[in-house]
Amino acid sequence: MRRALAALVVTVVVVGLLVRYETRPPARRNPESALRTPAPIRSPAPKARPHPPGSVTGRGPLVTTPFSSIQVQATVLHGKLIDVKTLSLTGDDTHTRALNARAEPILREEALRAGSADIDVVTGATYTSESWRDSLAAAIEAARVD
Amino acid sequence: MGMPVLVHAPGAPAAAVDAVFAWLHEVDARFSPFRPPSEVCRIDRGELSPADAHPDVRAVLARCERLRAETGGYFDARAGGRLDPCGLVKGWAVDRAGALLAAAGARRFVIDAGGDLLLRGGPWRVGVRHPRRADRLAAALELRDAAVATSGAYERGDHVLDPVGGGPARGALSVTVIGRELGAADAYATAAFAMGARGPAWTARLPGCEAMTVLDGDRVLCTAGFARHRLPLRSSDCAPG
Repeated sequence: MRRALAALVVTVVVVGLLVRYETRPPARRNPESALRTPAPIRSPAPKARPHPPGSVTGRGPLVTTPFSSIQVQATVLHGKLIDVKTLSLTGDDTHTRALNARAEPILREEALRAGSADIDVVTGATYTSESWRDSLAAAIEAARVD
Repeated sequence: MGMPVLVHAPGAPAAAVDAVFAWLHEVDARFSPFRPPSEVCRIDRGELSPADAHPDVRAVLARCERLRAETGGYFDARAGGRLDPCGLVKGWAVDRAGALLAAAGARRFVIDAGGDLLLRGGPWRVGVRHPRRADRLAAALELRDAAVATSGAYERGDHVLDPVGGGPARGALSVTVIGRELGAADAYATAAFAMGARGPAWTARLPGCEAMTVLDGDRVLCTAGFARHRLPLRSSDCAPG
């Protein structure tokens, strides 16, 4: 079942489904925490666009990562995924930091570090897509079980 | 394009954000190598001459060709044997989407396309994901009016091919490129990643770009100006790697 769901999710993603995140100002629960765990923001109710009779809607869990929280709602009709909505997302607000201006050689070598910082967004991060897929898979399952 | 796209545009008109997603859907329909009716698929099957394609398709394919020359063949829209310009299309489409938001009056926003970012206004604090530890950062940056793209092997396995040597790209764990536009930054990151150990020296010659490459063996090589963008990183976890 899990495998089938994963395949379905991949199919959905491949057909170019794009998620819209609400653009409300984010909230912070603990401004001092290193990797903050922000409080979920509930998006406004989705636009009223009734799903056809016989369709089933399920919600995935709120998936929280060090950088964001996300929840996906999926609607299934006759075994086919017909609608996906992103229900919530959190991020961080922005703080200003001084730039570290330094003269450097052409290529500077250093050791790889593994640390943390207060950030707004991640490059190379797949949290967004991973969380989205996880929540979508669960939402599809919920829609099928309901 | 196969990924969720996040738009964080505080205060932007909702209609402008809707227009961004309508645009991205339009791009997907026209450029997707996974949709048989797309122009890219029709060109790949020989059913459509590039000369008769939509002007956007012609422009993108021409730019792919220039990028192939610029990168010594390491950026190749036909690396996998069939036409797949996704390595440029994603960033190019996001750059256009940014222009739509800017035209609607948005001055400060982020478009996050699967971890490749277009940042307008700022400053934005950007974490560079550690190539092997998903919950850690390898660097933190402060950027304004920039684009930043990271190519790595961690997302979908070895998904970057080495068009020159063949097979999956080897030698680098991740390459992060900072530029002004995401189309170029993303293509350069992909090419530099495919170059492996030779990538950092190539990135050092890129005009208007800065780069950070994590090589096998956890060596990190950064271009001269990369440090200008860096923020301190807390070593909350001192264990190496």
